[in-house]
Amino acid sequence: MADRPLYAGFDLGTSNSAAAIFDGERTQVIRNAQGGAVTPSVVRIDKQGRVTVGQRARRLLDQDPENTATEFKRLMGTGKELPFPAAGLTRKPEDLSAEILRALRSDVADQTGVTVERAVISVPALFELPQSAATSEAARLAGFERVELLQEPIASALAAGWRADDDGGGTWLVYDLGGGTFDASLLETRDGLLRVVAHDGDNFLGGRDLDWAITEHLAARLAGGGGLLLERRNPAHVAALRVLRAAAEDAKIELSRSAQAQVTLAQPLVVEGTELEVDLTLTRAEVEALTAPLVERSLDVCLRLLTAGGLAPGRLARVVMVGGPTLMPALRARVSARLEATLAEGLDPMTLVAQGAALYAATAGLDGRAAPSTRGTGKKVWLQYPPVSADLTPHVVGRFVGADPPSRVTLARADGGWQSPPAAIGADGGFVTMVNLVPRTASTFAIGAVDAAGAVIEVDPASFTIVQGLTIADPPLSRTIGVALASDQVQVYFERGAPLPSRRTFVHTTVETVAKGTAESVLRIPIVQGELEHAHLCRLVGTLELRGDRVDRTVPLGSKVELTIELDRAGCLTARAFVAAIDQVFEHVAHLLVPEAAPEALDAALADQRRHLLQMRTEAFRHGLTQVIEKLGTLEAQLAQAERDIDAAHGGDADAAQKARRTLLEIDAALADADLARKWPELVDEARWAGVVAVSTVGAYGTDAERKLLDEVMAALDRAMTAKDPAELGRQLRLMRRLTNAAYFRDPDAWERQFEIVSSDLGSSTDLPRAKQLVDDGRAAIAAGDNARLRRIVNALWELMPVDAQARRKSFDSGVR
Amino acid sequence: MSDAAERLAENPFFVLGLAPDSAPREIEREAQKLLGMLELGLADAMTYATPLGPRPRTAERVRAAAAVLRDPRRRLVAELWAAAGASPIAAAGARGDAGPPGDGGG
Ligand SMILES: Nc1ncnc2c1ncn2[C@@H]1O[C@H](COP(=O)(O)OP(=O)(O)OP(=O)(O)O)[C@@H](O)[C@H]1O
Ligand SMILES: [Mg+2]
Repeated sequence: MADRPLYAGFDLGTSNSAAAIFDGERTQVIRNAQGGAVTPSVVRIDKQGRVTVGQRARRLLDQDPENTATEFKRLMGTGKELPFPAAGLTRKPEDLSAEILRALRSDVADQTGVTVERAVISVPALFELPQSAATSEAARLAGFERVELLQEPIASALAAGWRADDDGGGTWLVYDLGGGTFDASLLETRDGLLRVVAHDGDNFLGGRDLDWAITEHLAARLAGGGGLLLERRNPAHVAALRVLRAAAEDAKIELSRSAQAQVTLAQPLVVEGTELEVDLTLTRAEVEALTAPLVERSLDVCLRLLTAGGLAPGRLARVVMVGGPTLMPALRARVSARLEATLAEGLDPMTLVAQGAALYAATAGLDGRAAPSTRGTGKKVWLQYPPVSADLTPHVVGRFVGADPPSRVTLARADGGWQSPPAAIGADGGFVTMVNLVPRTASTFAIGAVDAAGAVIEVDPASFTIVQGLTIADPPLSRTIGVALASDQVQVYFERGAPLPSRRTFVHTTVETVAKGTAESVLRIPIVQGELEHAHLCRLVGTLELRGDRVDRTVPLGSKVELTIELDRAGCLTARAFVAAIDQVFEHVAHLLVPEAAPEALDAALADQRRHLLQMRTEAFRHGLTQVIEKLGTLEAQLAQAERDIDAAHGGDADAAQKARRTLLEIDAALADADLARKWPELVDEARWAGVVAVSTVGAYGTDAERKLLDEVMAALDRAMTAKDPAELGRQLRLMRRLTNAAYFRDPDAWERQFEIVSSDLGSSTDLPRAKQLVDDGRAAIAAGDNARLRRIVNALWELMPVDAQARRKSFDSGVR
Repeated sequence: MSDAAERLAENPFFVLGLAPDSAPREIEREAQKLLGMLELGLADAMTYATPLGPRPRTAERVRAAAAVLRDPRRRLVAELWAAAGASPIAAAGARGDAGPPGDGGG
């Protein structure tokens, strides 16, 4: 037992969390001290500051709601502090998640005797960078030395696929309806390699929405007898509604097993001093009817996903069901019927994600056991091999450290079934050899080394283990990431679909001076994600700041900033900026936060969008744009939903506030889309014109290859126009402009022409004496025929042109170009 | 600038040192081996051969190459250029590489 690896995976859920381990052969779900396979994500802090988590805290949720927190996962990355008045404390969502992780980690220790140092934690597929960063922070707070994040649907698919007897060929759908989020993912397995084809979802659809639907129904029935109607917007009703909701949830869960359930309150329902009489029963049919619209909404997402993946319903190899609500029989039947597919049987929807996370820990080489503290006595060798391999014959690469490496190595499988031919060791101490794996299990190999005379040399480590099984292709980046420039353009760093991990560096120029010692003097480098050409249409995900109170010396306007952005395998982002002028590095990415959602701000945004919508509708009617009118109809429904959530936000529901914020953002994006649709003819004109310029420029100065590529881009542009896809049109336009530029500057006179253009507008330059000097230098360079120097001068002149203040403000106040 | 030449030199098949008719499994295996060798700094993996002479090989290039070859459409383009050994731009363009900013005008 001691020699088996221990891979640990944690599912940090909104309502429930779970842990599982994998030993190279089997996964095992970890039970908590109460014997449960799942631990409620509930944390209570009492007046002595003592922390209780899980089932015991959940029981106190009704009695002491003020000091008991749950569903904090939905606030991850918002920076919001949750109060615990009895102890006089506040805690961030990541602190509370850390408490859950700590409890699960100690459950693993109780059961295996190992306090795991490295692990994998799952996160929703739609988590944004700030939310992922908060999850990593929670793991660090819980004492983990290293964790990797894995998207929940990949975890589910990995766990389901690992068990599948067939090779699991074909396309799968993972349907994950949790407490608060819905994820639908299409995956494909080929050659033992699991690949995410596409995913979609709703960050605000889950069991709790079912609970609220039932609760509102119960409240209406209570009021039906002439009684008081409990409303979420009313702060005086919040406590009573919480009690009623808990009862609704219990009844819902019971109805997954029985046809009828009594609504049992944990405590009396008291509103403004009077107690409400509650004697209600719910039937399965009732709950099915109440929850049906939400289920259909989830299925709409699935069908949209199938369309995006180019798949007709009925073509799915299998559907994997994950999450508590998928235990409802009616829901299962409905999913199977509408997707025309069979559901995978025998998988536990509550712990599948944790099992997948544990399996992935093996792929990521994250053995939970602490590295042995005593170094072996043998000759040190560094090894590189895939800890999990779909390939039956992968390569192992090694390198001996220090002088006198052995002259040959042999790898022998521990079951005695296979041995490698001796591999020669190179001058740099390195060797490469293939190994032979036993299918679907762990194979351990002993490393045998001999010197030139054939004498055995002891090596450290003496052995290593590879598991044969399903692996995940490096997950590609799901969204384009770049830097917002002061011109409101985006410098793309990573195009969507780029392989991870990845790193890129570009040099920018500051458009403002950062004065040393002045705290208000801040230069921002906004990092954005999104596919659109204008920065303000993309989503801000973080900001790197050069602050006056942090710089060693004043950074003058026009300084070079060498910015490097790095993404790890999970898409987590780090950035560093090097400012050569003061020889200083800045690394702290600030504001990696989901913006605060104050109810008043939401009110204003709502009013704003309503106005925008009205305006667009009037116009759409005037021009008879039926497609646009239809789209605006659905937006109106979404707006109504946002209004209900803002009501709840006024009642103090921070989560509803976040939900409303997201809905408003979505509406905003949809409105922008509709706007684009209106402006489509204009866009097409622009593309056509760019095409003419490209054809003539590339025709005159381009290479053969550039001409061929231009043909391709033109064809792609045509396709984007037929498909009326503005994002794709934008991408192809970018490519075309690049080609045009490359060809344009091949013309020997190009730089001279550019020089004339910039020098004609000297008056507006930010530093006139310097600009004049540059123009004189430029004339000299032209006279001398020095094109390289002219090019540098033109670039320097460009940098002296002022930035448009309005564009800059829109572009998240970017201080670079 | 010899942009075009550089892009030919970045053809995924050259980066991985594989023939254009290699099976997906061979590609994964080779990429995994090269990443391991680069991680350990083995001299044999540090450069790769192209029709334009040897080029430095980096982990990023290997990963990008494997990603291109996993996508059937982009793989086809890479195959054509690698086989022709000629004009490279289509392969590079399909990968969507961004050039440095500012260099080409306002
Ligand atoms: N037997 C059951 N029948 C119906 N619903 C159930 C059942 N068991 C649990 N639920 C519901 O499932 C939800 C919690 O699901 P789950 O534990 O899968 O979510 P989670 O993983 O915490 O959330 P997320 O994945 O969104 O972070 C709750 O709303 C709960 O009421
Ligand atoms: Mg879950």
